[in-house]
Parts: sequence; structure tokens; C-alpha cells
Amino acid sequence: MSLGVRPILSALLRNRTGAVLVAVQIAIALAVLVNALYIVVQRVEKIGRPTGIDEPNLLMILSTGFTARYQEVASIEEDLSWLRSLPGVVAASAISAVPLSGSGSAGALMPRPGAPPTDSVNHMEIDEQGIATLGVHLVAGRNFRHEEIQPPLTENNASQFVPEVIVSRALAEHLFPHQNPLGKPVYDLLGQSATIIGVIDPIMGNFPDNPHPDWLYLMPRLPAPFFDGVHYAVRTQPGQRDTVLRLAEAHLAKSNPDRVVNWVRPLSYFKNLSYLWDRAMEIYLLTVTALVIAVTCLGVFALATFNVSTRTKQIGTRRAVGARRRDIVRYFLIENGLITSSGVLVGCALALAAGYWLSLEYALPRLNLYYLVGGVLALWAIGQLAAWQPARRAATVPPSVATRTV
Amino acid sequence: MLGYYTRLALKSFGRNPGLTALMVLAIALGVAVCIMTLTVYHAMSGNPIWWKNDRLYAVTMDNWDPNQPWRPDWTGPPPQMTYKDSQYLFASNIPERKVVMYSVDGVISGVGSAAPERVSTRLTSADFFAMFEVPFLYGNGWSASADRPAQPVIVLSREENEKLFGGSNSVGRTLRWNDHEFRVIGVLDEWFPRPKYYDLNGGNFAPPDKAYIPQQWGIDLALLNNEDTDCWRAEKVDNYKEFIASDCVWQQMWVELPDAASRERMQSLIDGYWAEQHKAGRFPRARDNRLTNVAQWLRDNKVVDNDNRVLVGLAFAFLALCLINTVGLLLAKFLNGATITGVRRALGASRRQIFVQHLVEVGAVSVVGAALGLLLATLGLAAVHHLYAAAHLGQRGGYQELTHFDVVGVVWAVILAVAATVAAGLYPAWRIGQLPPAVYLKSQ
Repeated sequence: MSLGVRPILSALLRNRTGAVLVAVQIAIALAVLVNALYIVVQRVEKIGRPTGIDEPNLLMILSTGFTARYQEVASIEEDLSWLRSLPGVVAASAISAVPLSGSGSAGALMPRPGAPPTDSVNHMEIDEQGIATLGVHLVAGRNFRHEEIQPPLTENNASQFVPEVIVSRALAEHLFPHQNPLGKPVYDLLGQSATIIGVIDPIMGNFPDNPHPDWLYLMPRLPAPFFDGVHYAVRTQPGQRDTVLRLAEAHLAKSNPDRVVNWVRPLSYFKNLSYLWDRAMEIYLLTVTALVIAVTCLGVFALATFNVSTRTKQIGTRRAVGARRRDIVRYFLIENGLITSSGVLVGCALALAAGYWLSLEYALPRLNLYYLVGGVLALWAIGQLAAWQPARRAATVPPSVATRTV
Repeated sequence: MLGYYTRLALKSFGRNPGLTALMVLAIALGVAVCIMTLTVYHAMSGNPIWWKNDRLYAVTMDNWDPNQPWRPDWTGPPPQMTYKDSQYLFASNIPERKVVMYSVDGVISGVGSAAPERVSTRLTSADFFAMFEVPFLYGNGWSASADRPAQPVIVLSREENEKLFGGSNSVGRTLRWNDHEFRVIGVLDEWFPRPKYYDLNGGNFAPPDKAYIPQQWGIDLALLNNEDTDCWRAEKVDNYKEFIASDCVWQQMWVELPDAASRERMQSLIDGYWAEQHKAGRFPRARDNRLTNVAQWLRDNKVVDNDNRVLVGLAFAFLALCLINTVGLLLAKFLNGATITGVRRALGASRRQIFVQHLVEVGAVSVVGAALGLLLATLGLAAVHHLYAAAHLGQRGGYQELTHFDVVGVVWAVILAVAATVAAGLYPAWRIGQLPPAVYLKSQ
């Protein structure tokens, strides 16, 4: 084999420019491919995290009272009993904020009064149908009972806590590692306590971008009207979501002149908005990576074609003195292999450097080396494939060419 | 001579139409990806009021928790202020203009038969319009005397006036805002600063509010901020009175200071107030009170995020790849035609002439490639705009706001594209001129 490589190498070194250009392209392509895929895979994982919520069948509604006649509790009761009576509705609950939307409330929650506050913990207010509406699994303890649902906070008791809470398993594990959280008290910043009566898992709260999107506790209380009004979550049977949406939109717009219904929207709308940028990154990175590969293939193909076309005479001569077609194909593939290999070698260094820069930008773990190995193999294969057609064409040069003058 | 070279170039393209098309396509793709990325980056990194960069300052004070900063990844004071601190500083006469504000959702009703609608409303003070150079279509803002006691006056955005009054001059008309009667005193012209530098809490590219009323209304009606309210202190906040006296941050404050002297006086006023409060037990962290200009404000708030820097890096890597590819293709093409060049040299063409002739060819390829790239970028941006707008159900204020071409950006992109390609063509054009003609005149 070494007998075959040395003349190819020395021929290559005599005419370097084209080869160097292709090797540089392969190096850049490797760096882009490996790092772009690494970022894409992380976004795919981020978007695909389990939420525990029955996303496809949930509707969200926002209702805001705006006159002095508006009665918060009466309005909520009327709306909920109407929504729950609709055919196709599985459950409905008042809720303080839209899950997965990036907006909601968070605060400190501590296992002992006066313990140092940890990262902020997301919380939502729901009623006794809240768990069934979201579709989350209660893995321990019990749900809220109807009589435990507290009236909304008013402008006189806005810092009041609740007697019971349901917590996510992740939060329970954080507050009480390796212990049974049921029956344990938790404390807010003012030292008021609540008892954990249930544990849900998995669940993602209001903030998909938070470091701990699964730290969540639920309070049995109707939402206060201070912020933007009261939200309702409505869970429908599969396939009924859009029908219920239209019914709710039409009815709620007219049912109470002292409030406005700002919108009735599927939960997927909010989730999509939360991940819009991540999705755009995925599409963009994949598109550019595909283009990078395509342009690189083009470069390899063009160089090989050029080499074949300028060497027709030599190929004919080799064929005339006894080289088989196989040998000609082998020559060009080895030549291309040498170029690709040197490109890949430089590309590894480039990919690692780019990966290092990315790890600084994103504060992410350094590039996984499996990606690099995969990228090297992929580019090597792609490079050989791109040179395959020109090499085959070279092999069809008849030996008689050697005897012709131009 | 140039005409002759152009004809030669066209002839040469005709000899290898496939190769020429590939070159144009490679350049076009590289340029298109670069223009798209840079357009978004340019829109993100813009300073919509750069001409006031040495006058306009965000005021912030670090009143936060002694044990941790406002956010884990944040240094410096929180971006909003407490009500009491902002009110104290607002009383000062040092700034030429001053604004304290927040935004709420109010329900507008009582206009003809239009259904009541919740609109994002800015509760602000009289100087807002002059300070941020907000254009008016009809009427004006209010004067400082309407700030307190709060007068029932309202300014509408052009869009909202369109919706409520069909775009007519509505100054003097009345409407109900949260069921209180207000008189329209002004209608804004189209105004959409990107990023929304004066209040980044609701999203960096969120649309401006649709209505503006004196800030005191919010306090009188006990309204909370609809964007961000952050609290840290373990204090009982049961009612609105306790809330506005609390250490919660929810007010935005800006001042306009014409010169260094007034800036120093403002800074020392703030620091003096800080010292006084610190002695009384507030402001437990080290002193960090800031007057931040808009450019720095946008940096501090990380309006341009990491993803965008990565995308710009990727776009340039791709452009480099396309250009290197073009160099290779050009070289192959020129060497393919070396026999003809050899003849031309033998007949007396100088190296310089050969160089210029090939450069004309390169120039033609690059101009066509750049034009095609511009077209591709326009289509690509339109597609991106469409996708984002669809995800927002057609409402404004999402990332689709970043896909606007501006003239300066396009000019730069075209210059970049042509310059890069011509630069890429320099080497092949030079190289072909260096060939000894004799070799190519011999038969093989």
C-alpha cells in the first residue's frame, strides 16, 4: 500500500493549491458540523423535556374584571360551572398563571423557618380540579378538597399563605432529601407555614427557562385579580379542544358585561412561543450545516473533476503501461483521502477551539468527543463519495489517449 | 478595454456554464446567510436613540438582598426601582427631564359600540414624550401640572386610535379607562423603537404600549405592574400602602442630564440619599447607584444574547467556506483556460492585462452572486418573518420585528459581498498571470 501512497503524495505536493483549499473547506465543515449538531441536540432535549401536562388538550382563558360592579368569586364560579358543563370538557380550574408561558410567580420556600432562602420556587394557585385539569400525576398523598380552596387574596391580606400545598417531587427532594415529604411543614419568607399533602411528578411550571423549571408548589386558592385577571385552564377530550375553544369564546364574550375575556387560546400557543427561539436556532443551524456540507462536497467534486480533466493524458499513459481501471479509481480515491484526512486533522483542532469558545459563551459542558468522532467519520465518507464519480470517470479514459497528441 | 474584457468574460462563462453557475450559487449562499444573520444581529444590537447617548440615563439603586444579587446571573443594581426611592429622586430639579413609570393592563370601553378591550397602558410622567422623542400625529402629551393630582387625560398610540376612532383626530373625545372617564389629548404617530430600551421588562422587542396616562392614576387606583415586580425582603405586604412602601422593585426611572456637571450633581444626590437610608438600615449591599446611558443599558440587560453571537460566527465561517470554494473553482476554471491565456500572452498581452482581464471576470461573478444572495436573503427573511408572525398569531412584538431590512444594512451587506468575492478572486487572477506562456503553447 505504501508503495501506492508515496507517488500520489509527491504528485500532490507538487501541485498544492487546490488540495489545500479543499482541505481547509473540510476543516471548516467539520468544525461547523460537530458544534452545530451539539447545539441542536441540546435544544431538542430542552424542548422535549417532560412537562407532565396534557398539553394537546388544554385551553387557557384570561378574564379581567374592570368595573366596580364586578364580583370576582361569583364570576369565577359562574364561568367554571358553565365550562365544566360543556360536552367534551374533562375538567376545568381557575389558575393563577399559564403553565410553560414564561410568566408567573415565584418566591422563597424553606424547610425550616428562617433557613437561608434558596433559588426562587415557582408557585401557582389552583382549585380542586386543577390536578385533573393539567393532567399531572399525583404520585403520593392526596388532592385538594373542594372545601380547602381559599377565597382570592384581597387588598387587605395579600401576604397570607395557605394551610396546605402540593409540591413537585423535584422540590420535595430539594427541600427534604431522601425523606417522605408528606405531612412536613414548609415556610414562606415571613415564616408562615403550610403542610405538604401531596406530591406530583413530573411537572414543569410557568418558567421553562429557569434553572429549576420543575420546582413548583400548588396552593389551593382562587387567583387574585390584582395582576391581569383570572386564568382558567380547561382540559378537553382528545379532538374536542378547538370546538370547546369556539364555544367558550362566543359565550364568555357576552356572559358578563363587567369583565373582558382577553383571549381563549390553546396551551400549545404559549409553549410554542416559549420555545420559538430554540426552534428557530434548530432550523437555522441545521439549514446552514446542510449548506456547509453541500458546498464542501461541491469543492471536493470540483477539485477531483479538475484533476481528472487535466490528467487525461497521464491516465491514458498509465492505462497503456498496464494499470487496471481499479488502479486508476484507487489513485484518485487515495489522493482525495489524503486531502480529506489532512482537512479532518486540522478540522479537529478547529472544532475543539470552536467548541471551547461555545462552552464559554453558553457556560455549557465542553464539546462531547463522540460528536467529533462521528463528524470525522461522516466527513471522510462524504469526501470519498464526492470524489467517487470523477474517479470513475477517470477510469473510463481509454489507453489509446496516450498515443494521441492534443 | 473594459468592454472587451467583459465580452471575454462572458465568453469564458459560456465555455463552462455549469462551473460558473456553481460559483455564483456558492457566493450567493454565503452572502445570503451572512445578510440574514447580520440583519437580525443589527436589529438586536441597535440603539434606537443613539443621538441622546450622552444625555439619557437609566437610574438604578442597589437595594437588594445582602446575601444575593437580584438574579443569579446579574451584577449591579436591579433594573427597576422601589416606588419610594424613585419618588424621592423624581422630586429633584437637577435633571432637565425626568420620568418614573410602569405599565399596566387597562380596559378601554365606552367608545361607540366597540367591545371593551384590555390594552397595555403606560403610567408615566409628563416628560416621557419629549425625553424619548415620541412623535405625535394629533395633539400633545400632558404638562407636569397634570401629573399630580392626576388629570383624566390619555394619549393613544396610532394603532389604538385607528381601532377606536378609525384614525380620525380624536383629540377632545372621551373614553372610559378601567371604567373612569378620560379625555384624549394626543395621538402618537407610528413609533416602535427596537429594542424597547426604555422598558425591557416585557420583552426586548415588545411593542410600545397602546395608551399613556399620568402615573399617579396607577397609585390612586392601586394598580400593579403587569411586567416584573421583584421583592426580596421578608416584610409583610398585605395592602397597597404597604406595597408602595416596600423594598419591591417595579418602577422604571430615566433622567435627561445635559452635561457632566449635572450628571455629577445627580449622582451625588443619589449617593447622599443612599447614605441617609443606609444609616437608617436600608440598602444593605455595598453602595452601587448608577446612571446608565442607553448603549450601556442595552449591554447590561444582555439584549444581544449568546445565540446571536454564535450565529454571526457561524455565518462568517460559512461565508469563508463559500469564498474558499470559489477560489478553488476560479482557479480550476482559469487553469482550464490556460491554453487560451498562453496564446494571449504569446501575442503580447502583459501580465497586468491578463490579471485585469481575469479580475473583470471575477467581478462579474461576484456582482451576480451578491445580487442573487441579496434576493435569497430577502426571501429567507420574509420566510422567517412569516414563521414568527404566525407563531404570534399576527400580533406585533415578537422576533419578527428583527427581520426588517434597513438601507444602511443592505448597503453594507452588498459592499461586504462584492469586496469579499473580489478579494477571493485576486489570487486566482494573479496566479493565472504568472503562468509561463510557453508551456501552454506546446502540445502535450
